[in-house]
Amino acid sequence: MATIGHNNLNAKLVLLGDMGAGKSSLVLRFVKGQFLEFQESTIGAAFFSQTLAVNDATVKFEIWDTAGQERYHSLAPMYYRGAAAAIIVYDITSSDSFTRAKKWVQELQKQGNPNMVMALTGNKADLEDKRKVTAEEARVYAEENGLFFMETSAKTAANVNDVFYEIAKRLPRAQPAQKPAGMVLVDRPAEGSRAASCCS
Amino acid sequence: MEKKRIDDHEPGPVPSPRALDRFGFVKQDVSASDSLVKNRSAFENERIREERRVRKWRKMIGVGGSDWKHYLRRKPHVVERRIRKGIPDCLRGLVWQLISGSRDLLLMNPGVYEQLVIYETSSSELDIIRDISRTFPSHVFFRQRHGPGQRSLYNVLKAYSVFDRNVGYVQGMGFLAGLLLLYMSEEDAFWLLVALLKGAVHAPMEGLYLAGLPLVQQYLSQFEQLVREHLPKLGEHFSQEMINPTMYASQWFITVFSYSFPFHLALRIWDVFLYEGVKIVFKVGLSLLKYCHDDLIKLPFEKLLHALKNFPEDAMDPDTILPLAYSIKISKRLEELTQEYEKKNGKVVQSEELSEKHKFHESKGTET
Repeated sequence: MATIGHNNLNAKLVLLGDMGAGKSSLVLRFVKGQFLEFQESTIGAAFFSQTLAVNDATVKFEIWDTAGQERYHSLAPMYYRGAAAAIIVYDITSSDSFTRAKKWVQELQKQGNPNMVMALTGNKADLEDKRKVTAEEARVYAEENGLFFMETSAKTAANVNDVFYEIAKRLPRAQPAQKPAGMVLVDRPAEGSRAASCCS
Repeated sequence: MEKKRIDDHEPGPVPSPRALDRFGFVKQDVSASDSLVKNRSAFENERIREERRVRKWRKMIGVGGSDWKHYLRRKPHVVERRIRKGIPDCLRGLVWQLISGSRDLLLMNPGVYEQLVIYETSSSELDIIRDISRTFPSHVFFRQRHGPGQRSLYNVLKAYSVFDRNVGYVQGMGFLAGLLLLYMSEEDAFWLLVALLKGAVHAPMEGLYLAGLPLVQQYLSQFEQLVREHLPKLGEHFSQEMINPTMYASQWFITVFSYSFPFHLALRIWDVFLYEGVKIVFKVGLSLLKYCHDDLIKLPFEKLLHALKNFPEDAMDPDTILPLAYSIKISKRLEELTQEYEKKNGKVVQSEELSEKHKFHESKGTET
């Protein structure tokens, strides 16, 4: 802790995903350690913050929790613009929510900050008997697209802190300036396949 | 409407009446009831005043609303003054239907609601179901799984999503419908929703929910401008801290303060909203900022956002914040800003003749 300030990082993080996937529940679990069986629907967006200590540094997440319904899509760019990280959430009991998650990934790859750390999160992992999306399917997709992947349960708290912790570890350190103009150093395996498909 | 197998489902725990506030919400804290005990005499005075008010109101509206239109024509500002003081809770449901124009719609469209609920289907049904138990989850009427509250809420929202397939169901509408259902029947609540969204008396609200949320964008842009004009220092502070109204005020407009706002304040706002239209939403928003101005102006980004979503209790007192709201004059400026906005962005909603288009739902297109 000798170099306070130097090792402290503020990171804007946005949660995206289908309505009812559990975005707010994940945040509530992470920030307050709580879970509500019937979490009120998010209208517009909600803001939270939480600080994590990772190795020798602290990361303060400034979290935007967004409304999930497609109709609210037009408000989303404002929340993911300039975000350092995104958690894209789907519900393992809903294939539709997984499809929607993939759309968000595509949109972020196209519109988002190219250095953005992206996590794909299959929530409601406690509902194993209602599962519609296999972990394998999601893992393969995540690998192809350079995201890291975890299944979580906001209800049991399984893996919830881990997702945020993992993001904190992956955030680029010691950024020389706020805006690394023109310097883009990301390896994105999807780049090739995306280029191929868009030329067809 | 439908009565299938409700008994299979576990009913949520129904709390004892003591744990509920007077509107039926589960109490957040115990301290509120303590203060009631302390102020028993004040409470008693309040009750007597309330009774006097109810008598005046009954006289004004007549049996079942029979004298209402007559009274309204003769003394519109008496009506306005009384509404601004708050409609007595026992008459609220009836008066809301009278001032919103929904009663007339109901009478003009017999049987339509039933048709929409029972025989039609909509692509929004799954979305509605996903939100049902997440709408006023702390209210005793809505918290029971598949209970009467949740069924009514589902029916009203589904009926609306069929009635207007362009709007369908949009998150936020549930709070409007939920609030209405606490004061009237399903069918009445449905027609009030229609009156609001289609603009029976005031400007139609449907643009708040159409693709791209055009009216939300318009209102937020106007609100931002009004903040700059009425509270220039705070407006400047907001832009320095990179705060824009989308971050804190979207739900004010989308749900007319029925979402995460103290219920007793929401009701008083709705009284005025239904009679005077959306400008009260701007006025209440501005007055909250004005009331907390000196605190807000000192706060940095994060604390500022928190403060804008958690106004202090005294600011949430209807008898403090509403008089302040009434004192802010914005009608003319709001009109100018609307024209400016429309010149720049085109008109948000082509308001159609309500009675022509919506007498029967069959005439509605099915495409979105």
